[in-house]
Amino acid sequence: MESVVAGIIIAIIKILVILGVVLGVGAYLTWVERKVAAHIQRRPGPMVVGWHGLLQPLADGLKLITKEDLFPRYGNKFLYNLAIVLALVPATLVFAVVPFGPEFELFGYKIKPILTDVNVGLLLVFGLGSLAVYAIAIAGWASNSKYPLIGSMRKAGIIISYEVVITFAVMGPLILAGTLSTYEIVQKQIEQNLWYVWVQPVAFVVFMFALLAETGRVPFDIQEAEAELVTGFTVEYGGMKFGLFPLVEWYVEVLSLSAIAVVLFFGGWSPINIPFVGFVDPLFFLGPFSPYVWFLLKVTLLFLFILWLHWTLPRYRIDQITETAWKIMLPLTLINIVFTAVIAPVVWG
Amino acid sequence: MIKRVATKPLSWLERALFIDFIKGLSVTIRHAFSRTITTHYPYEKLTPPKRFRGFFGHKVVDGNEPQPAYDEWVERFKIEVIPGKSRCVVCMLCKRACPVPQLFEIEGKKLENGRRVVSVFNMNLMLCTFCGFCVDACPVDCLFQSDIHETASYTRKDSILDLELLEKIGRDWQIRRENEPDRIWIDDSQREKLWHENKVRLPEPQFRGRHEW
Repeated sequence: MESVVAGIIIAIIKILVILGVVLGVGAYLTWVERKVAAHIQRRPGPMVVGWHGLLQPLADGLKLITKEDLFPRYGNKFLYNLAIVLALVPATLVFAVVPFGPEFELFGYKIKPILTDVNVGLLLVFGLGSLAVYAIAIAGWASNSKYPLIGSMRKAGIIISYEVVITFAVMGPLILAGTLSTYEIVQKQIEQNLWYVWVQPVAFVVFMFALLAETGRVPFDIQEAEAELVTGFTVEYGGMKFGLFPLVEWYVEVLSLSAIAVVLFFGGWSPINIPFVGFVDPLFFLGPFSPYVWFLLKVTLLFLFILWLHWTLPRYRIDQITETAWKIMLPLTLINIVFTAVIAPVVWG
Repeated sequence: MIKRVATKPLSWLERALFIDFIKGLSVTIRHAFSRTITTHYPYEKLTPPKRFRGFFGHKVVDGNEPQPAYDEWVERFKIEVIPGKSRCVVCMLCKRACPVPQLFEIEGKKLENGRRVVSVFNMNLMLCTFCGFCVDACPVDCLFQSDIHETASYTRKDSILDLELLEKIGRDWQIRRENEPDRIWIDDSQREKLWHENKVRLPEPQFRGRHEW
């Protein structure tokens, strides 16, 4: 009985910490994105509200909350509001299976810094990732307007193509690790002294492409191509309802998929890896906090890389995007699976 | 005949290694770590070049009028010349040159001694396109355009410049910038700040006498 109560309390604490961190960081990533975008274009970005604009997200949030809530005539109110929930919840739920660090012991309880270490963690990630398309399709449909509908149809087309590709891309690491649990995948990488990106570079590149496509970032931001569709499926949303979609799509989803990429390819919380030899930890002086710092560092770098890509590349056409997915990415991943099957015994060693 | 120009298509190796992506990314990262070129507007403001077309003003009589044109016009219209007041000779050439003549409202009045002077000179800047035709037309170098470019106001009344305000702008201009050489940038350090990677030195402004023209 006592262990059940303790388990529940630990779970609640984990939920609160993860929710707070994810949503708080998500809001502040708008500031990061604006700064990165500005400096790439040689502007200083937000500078007025607080030191170097640090309070800008709060000001934006306040503005969005106090705005008038508009609703399009003849739209479907229920679906219109449901779309917001459907967008926010799956994207946040993905963090339930992201392992932040190794197991540790506190007051005699063994705690894994992962909300639920389910043995089909990755399946859950991609299931929830596919759910995101419903939010966008419903948002486009319920708005009763042309631009949102076109935007959501485009997004649905992209996600359906890239769901297939991303699933095949993660097959490589899955074969090498032999498990679907995210926690176990990291453990395997540490045991095998190998970040899977060293033997799965093709899978990683394909995963990055699919990540950009699923989160609707440049070069695949065709669903909200500003020049053509105004802002795509969010045209008819106003105030905080509008603010939530980019928050979820551009920040929470990118963050969760970056975390999954780090788990799959960069060994989660492990320090720098020399393939098949061992790990070098320049942050050893942090002691037990070193794994968490490593994990956060890797996710941050990956996120910044995605921002860098976003503000560099132009946009692809919808036919080019789907063509790349089906004609190039999918065959590449299939070849990669064969290659992985060949080298797997060496890695299992 | 149409000459078709195309960049060289990428080879399969370049495609596979994302050479074009890397080129673009290297450009953006270099820009990301170089100095920003923004002027933080409400806190720091650029001084526009002297020939900037901003708010209008009337230069006042201070002894630097273009001669002999000024004396001729004064003689023709029998204008009372008052030092420190507008140079305007009420010739209405600015109104004739204007594409929207309604925006000018010009009246003169006759003084006791029989000579004339400008009494009303209103410019409705809500109609103005700042084309500068009136300034070109002015024969006595009275009407001019200053460097004032913050034209926003709370009421529509504020966008009408009357004679008093025009003279005030003119006096301010004559004190601040009348003697400045006419060039695009206020000075070399200003130019340096905006375009520091373009290290072209401006030629020193040359003052030439009228006989050289």
